[in-house]
Amino acid sequence: MRPALEAAQNVAWRRLGLPGTWWTGAERLAIARETRAAADCAFCANRAAALSPLRVPGAHDVGELSLPPAAIEAIHRIRTDPGRLSEAWFVGLREAGLGEEAYVELVSVVAVTVAIDTFRRGSGLKLLAFPKAEPGAPTRRRPEGTKPGRGFVATVAPEDWTDGDPDMYLDHPGPRRRVGANIHRALTLVPNSMIHWWDVLEELYQEGPQMRDYGVEYRAISHAQIELLAARVAALNRCEY
Amino acid sequence: MSGDPGSDVPHGGLLLAFANAVLGRHSTALADLRETVRTTVGDAGLSDAAGVIGGFDGITRIADATGIPLEPEKVELAADFFDALNIGRFRREKA
Repeated sequence: MRPALEAAQNVAWRRLGLPGTWWTGAERLAIARETRAAADCAFCANRAAALSPLRVPGAHDVGELSLPPAAIEAIHRIRTDPGRLSEAWFVGLREAGLGEEAYVELVSVVAVTVAIDTFRRGSGLKLLAFPKAEPGAPTRRRPEGTKPGRGFVATVAPEDWTDGDPDMYLDHPGPRRRVGANIHRALTLVPNSMIHWWDVLEELYQEGPQMRDYGVEYRAISHAQIELLAARVAALNRCEY
Repeated sequence: MSGDPGSDVPHGGLLLAFANAVLGRHSTALADLRETVRTTVGDAGLSDAAGVIGGFDGITRIADATGIPLEPEKVELAADFFDALNIGRFRREKA
């Protein structure tokens, strides 16, 4: 494993246990643990095999009883059937009490957990033990510049960044080189979740400028091999984007 | 650019099978393929391949869970991208 990848992985993993913007450290770890457990949920397996998942009767195999039911449903569906998530389903979660901001942070925790677990499984490494929860309250800060219109949740465009936001994009102070594509904006309703995800993703994959620098190979496999793998995973997960 | 059956990317068929196995549920098949990948592209190549698979296993969930749309300009850009990397001629694996 490249030293930079190992460092990014370790930082991202430890951050799972830190207090977030909308969830405590203990809650974030509960989300991560439930993400792992959801892979073995029988109800999810039945739904994933069904033509109409929401018509399948049953209940999730739940490990983290401290999490609200809407969060459990979100974790399990994102983990086991992400290609068939709909805006109507997301609206249902909100009506069941899961706030838009908490949902975005939950998505980031699920994604980080899945990405690192899958990386380690592919590498033949043991799954990491979860870190300990750190004390502290969530900050509950919603960025001033959020706007709806790019998908299910509000986002922050580069031009709507304000001084109270951390460094997210190319034009902001700091080393990050993300330009504000929709995939960059997806988690920006919770800026620290956006940063948490992208800091590890860019070491698992590549930074944007590296991705299109065809004259230099930044990894031990080629650009073409990287994109072949990426496309296959996207197809297997039935990802429209 | 030479390639394995099913792809014009070097070791493309093996890498595709590896991705399938990592996301699948058969540990023995994965272990065997992992060693073949390691022998073929080296330890660093295996790690980086696993990194891409892990990264995209995560990012696809972000895209679908937030419902973000693909930008219209990217539809055209992706065509150029795959042509530039010579993977526009990828052939479907036989079932």
